[in-house]
Amino acid sequence: MAKEVKGGKWTSDLVLDLYANLLSEVWEVVSALIGEAILELLFNLSIKKIGEKYPFLKPLKVSEEGIFMDEIREDLRNLPPAELHRGFQSLINHLLNLFSALTEGVISREVFPKVFPKVREAERLVSQK
Amino acid sequence: MRFIVKHLNILRSIINTINTSFEIKEIVESAGNNLPSLFEFSALGVLWKEESTLYLYQEETCPPSFTQEVARNMVKVFSVLGEEPSDLARVTIQVEKRKLRPSHMAMDPKATLKSYLVLPLALEEEIIGCVSLNSDQPNAFDAQDLQFFSVIGYQMAATLKHFQRFSSVKTMAIYDTLTTLYNRRYLEERLVVEAQKSFYGGSSLSLVMVDIDHFKKVNDTFGHTEGDKVLKEIASLLKTSVRKKDTVARYGGEEFILVLPDAVVEEANMIAERIRRLVEKTLFEVGQAHINITVSLGISNFPGHHPKSKEDLVRMADQALYDAKRGGRNRVCVFSPVQK
Repeated sequence: MAKEVKGGKWTSDLVLDLYANLLSEVWEVVSALIGEAILELLFNLSIKKIGEKYPFLKPLKVSEEGIFMDEIREDLRNLPPAELHRGFQSLINHLLNLFSALTEGVISREVFPKVFPKVREAERLVSQK
Repeated sequence: MRFIVKHLNILRSIINTINTSFEIKEIVESAGNNLPSLFEFSALGVLWKEESTLYLYQEETCPPSFTQEVARNMVKVFSVLGEEPSDLARVTIQVEKRKLRPSHMAMDPKATLKSYLVLPLALEEEIIGCVSLNSDQPNAFDAQDLQFFSVIGYQMAATLKHFQRFSSVKTMAIYDTLTTLYNRRYLEERLVVEAQKSFYGGSSLSLVMVDIDHFKKVNDTFGHTEGDKVLKEIASLLKTSVRKKDTVARYGGEEFILVLPDAVVEEANMIAERIRRLVEKTLFEVGQAHINITVSLGISNFPGHHPKSKEDLVRMADQALYDAKRGGRNRVCVFSPVQK
């Protein structure tokens, strides 16, 4: 079960906040490079693929305007933070793999500095005793 | 700032040519012609799922091993995108080689693929193929290249999708139903593009007008059905006698026009002579008989004959054809302003 931390926030909420920000940031950086239409497709491909193992990711809504988690947030906050972290981390990894396969280091160079510290932060959050 | 404006202008021009293309080969060619002003690359690839064909537009010194590596990589990336893994052996590869870099920068015969950008060609969530820029140099592309390339990729996807939707309409609109050559409407469009390319870019452009000698007699003697068979056979001879980049169209009745980009008068003359001899040597089966048929051909050229417009080019080829007819038929005449 999700744990409550200081300020009355649940760690699941914190993990969700963190990944929501992270995905928005990835969206912002990469859409400027390859355009919203292609990025929407890559996000949806990744959600479909990773959603097989983490079904809670399947309802994520992606459109040319970006990625939205608000509608499913209530359902997700009841999931264990570690499970959320693993699912979102896999999603991010899959996206990064796609970016690398398509453009070698061009996208990764722009995205990686933003992604890496936040994934570390999520790891720290879920490992808090 | 000036640098970006220049790049945006090139981009606009590429998008415009992609938009006005009629077939995928034309898209690849027009993009390939313009992209060297934006990027340094060794090969541009367009993999189109519907045709299982990979169109490659590459530097003329590209070794075959590099071509294969590019093809393998594109097929691999295409499968990473979730498309069923394609067997490279089942993909038809069409290669167009052009001079993309100065001679002193010719590719090493052992060059390998060092960097690339691949983007899915997708519209409305459907992946219809992918497009790639490839280089034998490491780190050849940066974030700005990717931005420009993605705009081009998006436009290509939109145009290809358009082709898919309207392929049957397009077939009717641009092909002559009897001969399956391009029709006059397409010829006019193609001439606009080629003339613009030559008149503004300074490259040579030749036109060959072909007319079947005494065709009326064939129709009168053997009937129109047999006459149509002759038209079809000559159309097929014309198609096999030209280069890949040439356009062969039925101009009307028993008249045909060949558009030969980058061909000086001598090259056009060689092609026209080849056609004349080929037709002369062929025995045409009409009804129960086998007959000989000949053709007359007229050539015009830019810049050789100083045409000011595409209409001038057609008029000059027509004038040369008239001279060939008047000179006794079964011959090739090159336009000459003094001929009257």
